[in-house]
Amino acid sequence: MISSKISRRYAKALFGIGREDGNYETYGKCLEEFARFCEENENFFKVISSKIFSTEERIRVLEAVLAKSDFPDVVKNFLRVLLDKDRIGAISGIAQHYRKLTDEVSNITRANIITARPLKQEALEELKQGLEKLTGKTVVPDVSEDDSLIGGVVVKIGDMILDGSVRAQLEGLKESLKRGEYS
Amino acid sequence: MSRDKGLLRIYKKTLLILGTLFLVWAPTAWLWAAEHGGEAAAHDGGAATKDLIARCINFGLMVIILFVVIRKSSMKDFFSSRRESIREKLDELKRGKELAENRVKELEQKLKAFEEEKKRILEQFKAEGIAEKERIIKEAKERAKQILEQAEFTIQREMDAARGRLRQEVAELATKKAEEMISKEITDKDQEHLVSEFIDRVEKLH
Repeated sequence: MISSKISRRYAKALFGIGREDGNYETYGKCLEEFARFCEENENFFKVISSKIFSTEERIRVLEAVLAKSDFPDVVKNFLRVLLDKDRIGAISGIAQHYRKLTDEVSNITRANIITARPLKQEALEELKQGLEKLTGKTVVPDVSEDDSLIGGVVVKIGDMILDGSVRAQLEGLKESLKRGEYS
Repeated sequence: MSRDKGLLRIYKKTLLILGTLFLVWAPTAWLWAAEHGGEAAAHDGGAATKDLIARCINFGLMVIILFVVIRKSSMKDFFSSRRESIREKLDELKRGKELAENRVKELEQKLKAFEEEKKRILEQFKAEGIAEKERIIKEAKERAKQILEQAEFTIQREMDAARGRLRQEVAELATKKAEEMISKEITDKDQEHLVSEFIDRVEKLH
């Protein structure tokens, strides 16, 4: 398990290069794409991150994939270095940290919006605007559904959680009843 | 020397007593003889008078003999040593008496002191007993109070715990029932309303 500190260090290194040449957003997208590819292709990820195979063999596999990609050379070299240093297993964490860095520079914050039922586009837009006013940043919503909420919506932005679900209200009601506030 | 003087004084006193007795006795005897002699004189003439005189002479001789014999004999020493021993005995008895009296006084004092000590000890024991009794009663009362308080506290705690458990159970059941009902009854319109309320709350936050 590669620590978050190491992931952040590699992310910062690539981000520094990207900031210098002005392609940090492109690099970020490439990193995310590669991370997603690793998640989707479990066998590929196992081969390139496992020490069972020799470095040469793993590099050959990686090169085969990179050859088919249109990633900039910087990103390709970065991935080669990761593999060479046995840090390719942390690609997901590195991509995550890189995204945070790009978000900070771009004044973007990502909102994880969980809703009990599908949100209408107007409602989502209104919610996005409200969250942007609240955070003072451009909000990138990531909407998902969870029917255990019963009704309402939950928003997670960084460490902040705004819970407007029926489940939360019922939990609050239950706690109030337990404390005897309604007796 | 003083001892001889003492003896001489005793002899003189003895003679004086005997002489006095003789002088008392002689007239009495004389009168008695005269009274009864008057009658006898008629029969016997002065025979009784002669007899009386003879008796007196006889008595006087006896006294003289006794005086001489006593003076010559060891009676003096006997009486002297006897007197001395009696005196010593008296002195000894006196000392014994004094010792006994002192001992009695001492014992009386000791007895008195003992009585006082006994009284003091009894009073002390009594006071200690009362104090101990009061202490035991006080402790018992305090202990009883503590037990009662503890019992009340325990009862209250148990009641609170039972009330809490009941409240929790009711809360669980009520929310579960509410959840079931809401899950069944909730509509898209309700969801829109909830989202709208949430957006209002978010906007009010900044």
